[in-house]
Amino acid sequence: MQDKTISYEELVPGYEFPPASYELSDSLISKYLKAVDSSEEIKGFGEFVPPLAIAAYALAATAGSLSLPPGAIHASQELEFFKLLPIGATIDCHAKVARKLTRGKLCMLILELNVFDQSKERVQSGKATILLPT
Amino acid sequence: MPAEIGKGKTIPPVVKHITQEKINLYAEASGDFNPIHVNESFAAQTALGGTIAHGMLILAYVSEQLTLAFGQSWLSGGRLSVRFKAPARPGDIVTVTGKIDSIEERNSISYANCRLECRNQKNEAIITGEAAVKLAGDIPFCHPDPERSEGEGFREGRDSS
Repeated sequence: MQDKTISYEELVPGYEFPPASYELSDSLISKYLKAVDSSEEIKGFGEFVPPLAIAAYALAATAGSLSLPPGAIHASQELEFFKLLPIGATIDCHAKVARKLTRGKLCMLILELNVFDQSKERVQSGKATILLPT
Repeated sequence: MPAEIGKGKTIPPVVKHITQEKINLYAEASGDFNPIHVNESFAAQTALGGTIAHGMLILAYVSEQLTLAFGQSWLSGGRLSVRFKAPARPGDIVTVTGKIDSIEERNSISYANCRLECRNQKNEAIITGEAAVKLAGDIPFCHPDPERSEGEGFREGRDSS
């Protein structure tokens, strides 16, 4: 996680957040599965990292270097999964500002996310739209 | 392509009870401590009037439904596009439903295009969206419980139009 953060006001389209790495350890994924109240049947896929866990950590990596005002809301999400990862894998998360819109009292931030494994193969990509209070 | 997968088939629903404890657990697991999720006094003073669940928590339930239905085909070849229409709040019971809208062939690969919804106990839409699942011939329906994968993977869709 980054020490320095950038504020929403400073962001411009094309801005790339500092990449972040996560080790998808057994304990991290166990914590995630408990948090999302996974059914026993889902735990049957236990050797793999749930793709939504990867998406959550990619967003967390971005959020860690971004200072958003309290009350920011996730408005929409696109995700595409390319590859399964085993527990214990390490991911590199990359995010950049795709669009930034301000209309009246509504601010909208669209972030593009890309996640790669240690072989530099793409694991997942996505786009998050975040609404912010002014 | 497995015989069960076809246009109009209903994907078995997933039902979850939202609690503040679960929201707090998700905040800890994901590192997202936005006060709108975890600070009840802060959230009470906002237009939302109280804490709300993380959108990604509810989306995890959508992914659970698709994992149970499509197995590894979803986990390694899925595409999802959703809109968060309304917040899920502590005390809500949310139900994720889905239906296969069409089966599409592209470059000799079949894709199941699904329509998805998550609604609360008041029938308010929390999430709406679409998913596409690549139906790779060698990894159909990899449900971990073979009895369920053969017998309960999909149901005939009821005409809800």
